[in-house]
Amino acid sequence: MFPPRQDVLRLMPEIILSLSGILLMLIEPFLSGARRTLIVTLAALGSGLALVSTIYPATLPGTAFSGLLRIDGFSVFVHVVVEAVAFLVIIGSADYLDREKIQHGEYYALVLFATVGMCVMAGAAELMTAFVGLETSSISTYILAGYRRDVPRSNESAMKYFLLGSFATAFFLYGIALLYGATGTTQLARMTFPTTPGRERLLDLGLGLMLVGLAFKIAAAPFQLWTPDVYEGAPTPVTALMASGPKAAAFALLLRILATVGAAGTFWFWALWVSAALTMFVGNLAAIAQSNVKRMLAYSSISHAGYILVALAAAAASDQVELGVAAVLYYLAVYALMKLGAFIFVSQLGGESERHMEIDDFRGLAVRQPVAAACFALFLLSLLGLPVTSGFLGKFYIFNAALASRLIWLAVLLAINTVIAAFYYLRVIVVMYMRQPNQTWPPAPMPWAVTFVLSIAAAGTFYLGLFPGRVMALATQAALSLPGR
Amino acid sequence: MNQTHILSWILFTPLIGAIVLLFVPRQLDNAQRVIGNVFGFLGLAVSLPLIWRFQIGTPGYQFRENYDWIPSIGAHYSLGIDGISFLLVMLTTILGAISILSSWSAIQNRKKEYYILFLLLQTGMLGVFMALDFFLFYLFWEVMLVPMYFLIGVWGSDRRLYAAIKFFLYTLAGSVLMLLAILALYYRAHEVAGAGAAYTFDIPTSLGAVPQFSTTLQRILFWGFFFAFAIKVPMFPFHTWLPDAHTEAPTAGSVILAGVLLKMGTYGFIRFSLPLLPTDAVARQHIINILMVLSVVGIIYGALVCLMQKDMKKLIAYSSVSHLGFCTLGIFALNPHGVSGSVIQQINHGISTGALFLIVGVLYERRHTRMISEYGGLSTPMPNFAAIYLIATLSSLGLPLLNGFIGEFTILSGVFQVSLRWTAWAVVGIVLGAAYLLWLYQRVMFGPVTNPMNEHLPDLNMREYATLVPLMLLAFWIGIYPKPLFRVLDVPVRQIVEQVNPGYYNSATAQRWGEKPPVAAANDAARTESDSTKALAASAPPAIIAASSEPIAVNTAEKR
Amino acid sequence: MVPIGHYIFLSVALLAIGIVGIVTRRNVIIILMSIELILNAVNINLVAFSRLVGSVEGQIFAIFIITDAAAEAAVGLGIIIAFFRNRETVLADEMDILKW
Repeated sequence: MFPPRQDVLRLMPEIILSLSGILLMLIEPFLSGARRTLIVTLAALGSGLALVSTIYPATLPGTAFSGLLRIDGFSVFVHVVVEAVAFLVIIGSADYLDREKIQHGEYYALVLFATVGMCVMAGAAELMTAFVGLETSSISTYILAGYRRDVPRSNESAMKYFLLGSFATAFFLYGIALLYGATGTTQLARMTFPTTPGRERLLDLGLGLMLVGLAFKIAAAPFQLWTPDVYEGAPTPVTALMASGPKAAAFALLLRILATVGAAGTFWFWALWVSAALTMFVGNLAAIAQSNVKRMLAYSSISHAGYILVALAAAAASDQVELGVAAVLYYLAVYALMKLGAFIFVSQLGGESERHMEIDDFRGLAVRQPVAAACFALFLLSLLGLPVTSGFLGKFYIFNAALASRLIWLAVLLAINTVIAAFYYLRVIVVMYMRQPNQTWPPAPMPWAVTFVLSIAAAGTFYLGLFPGRVMALATQAALSLPGR
Repeated sequence: MNQTHILSWILFTPLIGAIVLLFVPRQLDNAQRVIGNVFGFLGLAVSLPLIWRFQIGTPGYQFRENYDWIPSIGAHYSLGIDGISFLLVMLTTILGAISILSSWSAIQNRKKEYYILFLLLQTGMLGVFMALDFFLFYLFWEVMLVPMYFLIGVWGSDRRLYAAIKFFLYTLAGSVLMLLAILALYYRAHEVAGAGAAYTFDIPTSLGAVPQFSTTLQRILFWGFFFAFAIKVPMFPFHTWLPDAHTEAPTAGSVILAGVLLKMGTYGFIRFSLPLLPTDAVARQHIINILMVLSVVGIIYGALVCLMQKDMKKLIAYSSVSHLGFCTLGIFALNPHGVSGSVIQQINHGISTGALFLIVGVLYERRHTRMISEYGGLSTPMPNFAAIYLIATLSSLGLPLLNGFIGEFTILSGVFQVSLRWTAWAVVGIVLGAAYLLWLYQRVMFGPVTNPMNEHLPDLNMREYATLVPLMLLAFWIGIYPKPLFRVLDVPVRQIVEQVNPGYYNSATAQRWGEKPPVAAANDAARTESDSTKALAASAPPAIIAASSEPIAVNTAEKR
Repeated sequence: MVPIGHYIFLSVALLAIGIVGIVTRRNVIIILMSIELILNAVNINLVAFSRLVGSVEGQIFAIFIITDAAAEAAVGLGIIIAFFRNRETVLADEMDILKW
């Protein structure tokens, strides 16, 4: 009954993550006194170990558990991204939780479980597995969004996230059911074009519904409405997680379906095209109007989903799938780092009960906390996509993929959006650097954990911006490891 | 080819300075500006060997450095300079050192950040002039945006935020379009090179493939690059960011902005836009006509607006629009006189307008106002200042024996070969230029001291002499003995003109103007392949392109 | 045997009822129930298709979905209770602290 050894090894990261989550929840009641340090250390250790153990799936590619999972370069790449995100979020949350007096073990356990879900999504070769992964990550994040239980904003955020999230899941499932009806299987690789007449319609409908469901998850227009509210209301470290992790996993799932199921590329192409264009504009235009930094960053992540969709459309359009896929993967890594850095910074600066989230609260920050402000400015410039930062290369690869697939107009729209985005990113920088400091509240000193997370994110932003060769090579390998159409 | 690292040293010395400054504690106020200045001058010092090591008369790029950077897309760390970029690099290092020195007492708050950003800016600008790889070029082109934005926004005057954001957005809009154009060029060049060739961002290789493109694509590419450069120069309808940015920037920022940043636009025109001109005669003439008209409008409009300014700095800013109009006019005359005159004029503009901005800075530091009406009769309390100001004014308006005359005259002689009408309009611009500059001088310096606050203004101090006198010397040198500059420019300009205007050297006009037919054939054999921009224009490029780098092409070609 | 069309019709009807419920009702608990309806529509589809294509995957999937629905309901109700404690309401249009 026990699965083969190598299958277990391939699943090592997920196993470690789950076990550390369970362990955390088990030992928490027995701890007192210095429990905080122990819990955080355990959680960080768990996610760190999972990150390290990704070496197993990396060295043992293949399918596992009778074809339920497919461990390839692609899934390993996404694994590393989401595990790194989890690791950094865990370290970055500790001080926030202290400040909000919600320091509990299950917070970390939920982060770990959510990560398990994302990892499973990345490796799913079959829709049932994908669904289980999706739900594991979603349900954990629903709870995390409402983790500040006594704060109405947080409740509201969780509520909205939950309702729209499960609505989206329902759509996703209905799509799967139709797909199953059309092809008679839930294995992605076996979903060939149906020969029985009448079933193509079913297949298209199923793919359409699935796309809607996943579009909700990645906050693609016109299904992005929940994003700003949920991101704004959730505890900020959770927002950091939501913006980088689940999004990466959902994109990974989309990509895998796109690359594996032949019909998806052609059927999805225009939907992706339109959605990409819409998402970029909706996100950027709305972000300009925001006065709350957290909300502005939420809109900015919508627009970034749009950028990634451009690469996805590029992958769907051409026979050179790998160029688009590699661009998506690279951007996901880049985006996860910079967005995470930005949100963690905001979570620290927000102070007790997230009081200081207005742009005005950032006035003159450069004078008072020069290093932190420089870090934040770096993330913002990277989100804007200026060279030397990783955001530029990410965008560059997207441009590259789009033009290689002859999506010239989409590339032009992306270019226009870059300029629109400059308005709001620059506004924050202006306030930080060019206005007199706000004297009413003293900024709290940076705890070392937050400093650590910010420096990792900043270093990554520079590294990926200056020496993309290595990571891009990995992304390209990952893209090539997908089963071709 | 033996690789020297002199360009890398020049490029990264300022960056090293910025990094060193990063670790200087904030409390050591004086140390920050000392270190800033040391690296400012070090930046100049390391560039000096170029002067004797640069080989005049050698075609192609010199001091080349070439390393793989991002092999998967064919981006290289590739540097090299020819005569044109050599002059601009020297201009950058000289003006850089001078402007850093000029900030000594002008910048009082947040010195550390100021010097760091200034040094970063320096690296960015130098990179633009040195890069021989589109990717690297674009990187520097965009990078330099950020420090300039901060320099204007943090250390500028009252309306600095507006000016900074406007500057940023205008430039960004242009450069994003350019990025698309670069990519289009990249793909098309690869297609032209044929299957099996590697993708490359190498500038000479990519541009060499252009003549084989369709006219439509050539047109699209030309306009794609055009906006980025036209905004930077700035050409007439895109100039509105410039007066704001110049006026609000701190003195040193204005000097660099006018002296070097604008030259990035004209440099782009020469280096990229000219080779990108459509090969089809009709399409080309169409584009040239538009650009000539825009240049002339810029010259006249800029000059007219100058006449109405109340703010000294704004006046000088608008005079840049007018002067840069001459530069673009010369470039698109497409003959050796026009192009080399344009480059000389770019240098001149850097020197004289830089000096004028420094002069306004001197006054501003004393009185904290730039309004012309606040001054008057300054020649009485500040005689030495008056003399230097006069030289700068005269050099800017183009008096013989000073640098401005050489540039403008050469440009006009180049334009004259093409069209009398445009020359006539441009001359009107010169007349107007004399008018507004002299009128400004008269209002500020002559007459009785009208404002009692001006009665006891101190004359220039040593540091101010140190910033202004070198520029004056350069102005005289170029005005009296410009021959070395022309010699440096001769070969590269000849190469460019041969490439974009192949009929020129055989035409009757050329004979009349004493131009000898090209010695191209003899030189071609001696030239190394990647150095040549123009050999590609004539013959098939695959061999040359194939000589570059590899991987991604393999990946895509071996698609399952 | 009941033809497949009937099952699909039922499932589509449930889906429609679910969507209409989600869109029109204000009470969060009814919205939650509507979502459950859609999930059951999915289950009917899966089981019917499982019979049609002669594979057991669909039925296994249905069991997974039932389990998931339970988990989702538990979390959902928990969130609703937390919300109710602070705001004393379960109406969707009173969720207005964050701009909707």
